[in-house]
Amino acid sequence: MRFFTESRVALLLLRKLSLRHWRTSWGNYLVLIAIVSIGVGAFSGIRQAIRAASANFSLFNEAVSGQSDFLIRSAQGPVSSHDLASLAEVAASPDWHFVPVIESSVALLDESGAARQQLRLIGLDLLSLGNLPNFLDRGFDISDGSSDWWSALGPSDQVWITHSLAHSAELAQDDSIEIVFGGLLRTITVAGILGSPADNLPEDLMIADLPSVQRWAKRPAELNRIEVVVADTNQRADRNFLAAIEARIQAQLPDGYRLEATAEQAAKRASMTEAFRLNLVILSLIAMLVAAYLILQALDAAVVRRRHEMATLKSLGLSARVLFALNLLEASLIGLLGSIGGLAVGYLLAWGAVHLLADTVNALYFATSTQAIQLSAQDCWIGLSLGMCFSLLAGWLPARDAMQTPPAQILARGDWSPGFAWLRRPRIGLSLLVLGGLALLIPPSQLAGGSKMALGGFLAAGCWIFGGALLSGQLLTRLARLLQPLSPRAVWRIAISRLADGSSRHRLAVAGLVVAVSMVTGMFQMVGSFRGTIEVWFDVRFQADLYVSERGVTGQGNANGITPEVLQSLSTIPELAFMDALYIEQVEGPVGVTTLAGADFSIWQEGRVQQIWLRAPGTFTGIADAQPAYVSETFARRFAVMDGGAVELSTATGPRRIAVMGIFADYGNEFGSAVVDVPVWQEWTQRQRAINTTLYLQPDVAVNTVRDRLRLEYPGLDFRNSQELRTLALGIFNDTFRVTAALNGIGITVAFIGLLLGLIAIFEESAQTWRTLKQLGISYKQLLLTAGIEGAGIALAACISGTLMGLALGAILIKVINVQSFGWSLLWQLPLGSFALLGIVMVAAGFICGVGAAAWWHKKI
Amino acid sequence: MNSNLESPATSTTPATAQPVLEVSDVRKAYGTVEVLHGVDLTIAAGERVALMGPSGSGKSTLLNCLSGIEPVDAGTIRVGSYALSDASESELERYRRECIGYIFQSFHLLPTLSAFENIELPGQLIGMPTTERTERVHTLLEAVGLTHRAGHKPDAMSGGERQRVAIARAIMHRPQVILADEPTGSLDSSSGGRILDLLESLSRQYSIALLLVTHESSATRICERVVHMKDGCIVSA
Repeated sequence: MRFFTESRVALLLLRKLSLRHWRTSWGNYLVLIAIVSIGVGAFSGIRQAIRAASANFSLFNEAVSGQSDFLIRSAQGPVSSHDLASLAEVAASPDWHFVPVIESSVALLDESGAARQQLRLIGLDLLSLGNLPNFLDRGFDISDGSSDWWSALGPSDQVWITHSLAHSAELAQDDSIEIVFGGLLRTITVAGILGSPADNLPEDLMIADLPSVQRWAKRPAELNRIEVVVADTNQRADRNFLAAIEARIQAQLPDGYRLEATAEQAAKRASMTEAFRLNLVILSLIAMLVAAYLILQALDAAVVRRRHEMATLKSLGLSARVLFALNLLEASLIGLLGSIGGLAVGYLLAWGAVHLLADTVNALYFATSTQAIQLSAQDCWIGLSLGMCFSLLAGWLPARDAMQTPPAQILARGDWSPGFAWLRRPRIGLSLLVLGGLALLIPPSQLAGGSKMALGGFLAAGCWIFGGALLSGQLLTRLARLLQPLSPRAVWRIAISRLADGSSRHRLAVAGLVVAVSMVTGMFQMVGSFRGTIEVWFDVRFQADLYVSERGVTGQGNANGITPEVLQSLSTIPELAFMDALYIEQVEGPVGVTTLAGADFSIWQEGRVQQIWLRAPGTFTGIADAQPAYVSETFARRFAVMDGGAVELSTATGPRRIAVMGIFADYGNEFGSAVVDVPVWQEWTQRQRAINTTLYLQPDVAVNTVRDRLRLEYPGLDFRNSQELRTLALGIFNDTFRVTAALNGIGITVAFIGLLLGLIAIFEESAQTWRTLKQLGISYKQLLLTAGIEGAGIALAACISGTLMGLALGAILIKVINVQSFGWSLLWQLPLGSFALLGIVMVAAGFICGVGAAAWWHKKI
Repeated sequence: MNSNLESPATSTTPATAQPVLEVSDVRKAYGTVEVLHGVDLTIAAGERVALMGPSGSGKSTLLNCLSGIEPVDAGTIRVGSYALSDASESELERYRRECIGYIFQSFHLLPTLSAFENIELPGQLIGMPTTERTERVHTLLEAVGLTHRAGHKPDAMSGGERQRVAIARAIMHRPQVILADEPTGSLDSSSGGRILDLLESLSRQYSIALLLVTHESSATRICERVVHMKDGCIVSA
């Protein structure tokens, strides 16, 4: 009963008091709502963008076969068209359809001959697709109404493209396009446009007849997989039905084949980027965190502004609980409205970020397509809940403060502040520091895809930042007390004495800045150290004269590689001293996917290819039944072979063991790689294609002249000298950290807006002091100067504390999180110049914030 | 509590009436400085008492103790059925909501509410039914002569008008005692005079006890008794 009465009163007061304040200061509240919107938008946008950017496997399935149910793979190597004969008996059932698939990557060229876009070319048995209702629903029709419809599958080079690709590349049916495929130029015709704009088919999808793709790719008879689609799609939801179908196919499959659920395969792919996605989500939560800080400051300022109103309400007998509820209601209303706006902001942000993230996924993990951004009901719920939760958390302290407001009779005595007593006690801050230290003992948790999550590292970072933030008030007061005897002039004395007194609002303002500064300086170190390490690595690693790869196709998205014929042809270049071709294939390790690479061991062993060795070749001895391999640091950490040992890898031809012979530094992705000799790699993978190659030319050869000549001779290949490759690699690096830089910028900007709001609240709370000072004759200029000194003092204390905590955060990021999540060691570099610049900017900004707050306050009274 | 606004009590309060406020041997110290040294005071229902004394004599502290804002160190305070010394914070809040009305020197009206809404608020806080509440606000507005100002916000009113709204707000919930802290301190003498008349008339009309803290001896004219404080003690009554 009491609860209902109080709730009713709180709602009444929200309507009659709080919302009327909103009406009079609508600009302030609009800004607050916009801040929540940005925070929720950053989180929701990155979530939607990463989902759309990773829509690779399932997207293809949904687009083409209307979601296949199972995949058939061969245990003896890649499946081939020849396998179809042995599977004919199983395929004959009317209850399912077999769809053989070959996948490859091509580069679409523009009119000038430059690579315009990387595409995924899927080869399908077009004759069999007529069995798939979904495919026909998409409007796929090769017959063109003619009786000799099969002529469409003749020898002509033709492809079907999606509506979105046709739109973006301005292509129409029967247009001729130039593509680079397997290092060779090819002109093909657009036979048709698939689906409609509403189908949301990926922009990078191109379909051709299976034999055509095999022929173009010079991969005769090769398949990537055989998909199985159940005939009665209406029963898909029934697990028992699918289980029965699976059992029947499994029973009929000849030896040497295995059946996998498509969903499992899709989940496996998705899990590969789990750490990447998780790190992005954590980063995007930082935006939400700073937004919460700003809301806290703004609501706290509002509580100070309305102190007299609350005091009057208390005198009228309003309970502290209702005041608390009233303030929380207000915070949640800001959260709700901000979250709704955040969903719209997130949708727009996702549009902007999707291609950036897709490029990163393509470069680091696997070939991916982007799909249209879709805001799901789950996105809405998560966004709304997040916005509400953070707003409520942010509103908690001001609500507690409001609750402590005394009745008007006490307030009338003069400046009054209940403050947050716990901010004055170092106990909580020190406890958090200790807790952070203990959190470092937590081992990393294993994610589904085999990557690791440095849970202890993240917890320690959080504890240390917040612990340091809480302790920063101590530094502020101590610093001010040290300066007190050195403050001869009145304005300095007033300002420094106020800092030395260190009200809880002063401490809160410092704490907020400390969080932002420590995050920014920590990130500075991480990105700077990463970049520095990579540059050192480049210096050692990029010593070849020319780097050759398939044109327009980069990173892990490359599904073809260079054909053996082209590679052979390159090896006959007269200026060539030697060539180091790299072969890669993804295989399963004991704890998830990793890369099995093939390289010419003779070149590596002779030391002609430079590496940064963490364990030089010869450190470990061979192991019987295991092939010698050099592994990356990431691989060694992931599979626990830093001190040598053997690892079993599940390859296309079955389980194979490698023995670690040396460990080298590598900064590709968190899955690591193991390098075996090329013949071993080819035997294990049953593949022949190199992903790229490096050319070491004879001494005194003009590298760029050879490069230019080779570019003309091999228009399907990219030739880059080491400088060009370095620029390209650093470009990818910068793209990868662009989101981090943007979030850093948001963090520090919001922190200063928070400082401004905090200072305004401090001024309002000290209104009686300022009025007295005015009565005593302090000039306007002196008032501004006093406030400026106060603001600069807060910024200086925050800068010192924040940098100290930033150093700790940098250490955690570099020594713990990077090592545990990605398995690589970075050279810790301190960008001291950036720190100094940040400090100067901060103190200046603090001074300006102080002056601004005083000017605003003065104008108001 | 008087539940019938329209049936005021008799205009004179018998001296033998039941005490509504009893203060017995109340002591209060801030740190080592004792501000109240065993204060005793009794006010009968409907009685109007002026509390006078120089600055620092303990008037405001006593008033704060009476309104349950400051706890006492020793002694007892009983207002109606409430014994403040033993009351919990929530009981004190209820006491302030139901039992007393407080009038401030600087009005303390809520700036975002109209005169009507300011007066209505205490009624809403105690859960008074809407019809009764509205009717009572209209009656009080009429009683304080501000019917025409019902929709105005405080910043559109004069000091005298604001204080009249504050008085109406103080009696909206039918308190047993009104504690008035220098209610005319922020007003000119003419407005102050009218406010005092209003207070007297409403106290009589609704039989509400009044403890008026004032510096001005002229303000005591509406009171039946004047109590003097000095150095934390009642020196004459």
